[in-house]
Amino acid sequence: MIAAEVLNEWYPVAMAAQIRAGQRRVTQLLGQTITVDCQEGAIVVIGQGGALHVTEAYGHVWACPGTPAHDLFPIPEASEPGRRLVDVGVVRVKCSPLRAVENFLDIAHFPFVHTDVLGAEPHTEVNRYEVQIREDSDEVWATKVTFYQPQAAKSSEGGIVTQYMYRVAAPTAAVLYKTCPNRTDAWDVIGIFVQPLSEELCDVWPWMALYDDVSPQAELIAFQQMIFLQDRSILENQIPRLLPLDPGMEIPTQADLTSIAYRRWLKKRGLTYGAQMVAA
Amino acid sequence: MTPRWTATGLSQDLPKAVAVAGYGHGHDLAVWRSATGRLQAWNDRCPHRGMRLSHGFVRGETLACIYHGWVYGTEGGCKHIPAHPALTPPTTITVTAFACVEQDGVIWVAPADMAGSPPAISGMQPLRSISLTCGVADVLAAEPTLSGQDVLRGLVQIGGQTCGVCLVVQDSPAGLTLHVLCGLGADKVAASRWVEDLRRRAEAKGAA
Amino acid sequence: MIRLYDYVLSASCYKVRLMAALVGVKMDHEAVDFHPGRAHKSVAFAQLNPAGTLPVMVDGAMILTESTAILVYLAKLAGPQWLGPDDAKAAAQVQQWLSFSGRLAASLGMARLHDMLLYQGDIDAWRKDGHAALRELEAALTERRFAGGEWLVGDAPSIADIACFPNVALSQDGGVSLDAYPSVRLWTRRIRALDRFIEMPGIHRLHELSPAPKVA
Repeated sequence: MIAAEVLNEWYPVAMAAQIRAGQRRVTQLLGQTITVDCQEGAIVVIGQGGALHVTEAYGHVWACPGTPAHDLFPIPEASEPGRRLVDVGVVRVKCSPLRAVENFLDIAHFPFVHTDVLGAEPHTEVNRYEVQIREDSDEVWATKVTFYQPQAAKSSEGGIVTQYMYRVAAPTAAVLYKTCPNRTDAWDVIGIFVQPLSEELCDVWPWMALYDDVSPQAELIAFQQMIFLQDRSILENQIPRLLPLDPGMEIPTQADLTSIAYRRWLKKRGLTYGAQMVAA
Repeated sequence: MTPRWTATGLSQDLPKAVAVAGYGHGHDLAVWRSATGRLQAWNDRCPHRGMRLSHGFVRGETLACIYHGWVYGTEGGCKHIPAHPALTPPTTITVTAFACVEQDGVIWVAPADMAGSPPAISGMQPLRSISLTCGVADVLAAEPTLSGQDVLRGLVQIGGQTCGVCLVVQDSPAGLTLHVLCGLGADKVAASRWVEDLRRRAEAKGAA
Repeated sequence: MIRLYDYVLSASCYKVRLMAALVGVKMDHEAVDFHPGRAHKSVAFAQLNPAGTLPVMVDGAMILTESTAILVYLAKLAGPQWLGPDDAKAAAQVQQWLSFSGRLAASLGMARLHDMLLYQGDIDAWRKDGHAALRELEAALTERRFAGGEWLVGDAPSIADIACFPNVALSQDGGVSLDAYPSVRLWTRRIRALDRFIEMPGIHRLHELSPAPKVA
């Protein structure tokens, strides 16, 4: 039996453009088979018990298998004029949907997994940042996150300190805000929308809202896919597969404040699909 | 389970400064060799976020996790956390180690407090490791001159000559692996092809 | 400048990117929206390559498809030693491995596309064929090791190694582990340690090859 708290949330299940183009997607959500297709101009998600609640946002179709506890989270940047909106395309990963989100929130792995792109040795230190659970929206936010990223591949000169904010907007959806190279007054926005097929299998739908008038769409997609695919073999090799929500099995440090808050938030809200509670 | 030595690989397949995946005693293992050649077999799991240490990288006498670069010394204690370079990691951050010895060209593992030595295999040279989709019973059925349980031994015909072979059995959830040794005078290419043929015959038995 | 129509996650495109890096040929990369856009199957792309496949290499008036053909071109252009030794036996063996690399793409490569990008097909058959191919590769590399050899053909790496490497190194993406193939694993490490080697997503940098940074 899946907890009501889990069922009453919104989950991404398809790319809206693909469904509107005529694709009929048969997939799983929380272990149940669903179909997503377009009927008379409206996107419909049907499960074994009938139609699910549906909404469309940020290029994707979102479904709620239960009764929605709230509206889908807002991303105001998505409707700002001049933004490039990029549907990066689905990638399937044999891992817990919660592990996928937690990896997205982590920066300490940049020098080792995204070597010479998002980070490089010896610039491995994670500076103190701030984490809070915002009461009004009930979301986890990490702010004042900074990380040193070298500009050139092998050179440590001319590097820049990139600023980040991380936001857990739903149990399996997170957004990161990154300093925009082209503008000083705005953030580039990158979302990870994770569809839980089962507790150990997920479809990840990355998405972006950027200020970039220059790069071809295919390059923006390729870059983001490259970053995510570098994480995939990590995600598929973490043990246990289910995210431990009780302390003892895994040892966090100061650099892991966002992950610690995420796990605490999941536990408090009863969002345990893809998690394990008893430390082995 | 009675504690005993089980094989997890051949020495020749683990060069210096390399970590590989292994298995023994119900555990996935990270088996690694330091830059000076010291061998370790650890629980294949970094205590930080559970990443397999067998995917890690060896520098000097340390093994580091590929995920966040946490560095472990040969005794299993965490020496360095790259996200906090000035921090001395708490001594509580350790990886569980298994007993690990190489003998006769085979890498053997056992529970950490294991006494004694692995079974001796004399007069043989390591050949290769091979994985099978059948069981030991099928191997014995395919080659009745072999006998044994954890270590199969026998005299077989290789390249027109009688040759001693020794097949060390490793059972794991992933299936059966045989670590094969052959007589010192054997033609290794012919012996390797004999092993391939044995596998085909054994798997045919298993599928029948 | 040679132009390569490229997709960052394609194992076949990576063969070409890797070869170009190893022999020092600079290429202009034109990113193609292979996924999710399926741009390689579009009417517009068919003008360039009616087969609708990647990679496609354009050098002046010449359009070349098939990754192994492009490897031959790059080797001839900038690194003829990569074609392998010049005798009949070696030349034939290189061809044998180039053909074999097609089997790796059709098995391990397809399993990867299925597991990662939701390609539909007989995943069990792809994995089974992938293991069969890996067994053959393991046997061949093991025999080479007995003779003191480290590469598929001859005493140096060749296009035979580069053609086979990507789909093997990425096999776990498709649920096929290399744990059962020690000679194959050692061979992939050797390739990853080559001078001017470049990675692709799914193939990590070998951090062990760079020294531990001095702690400030």
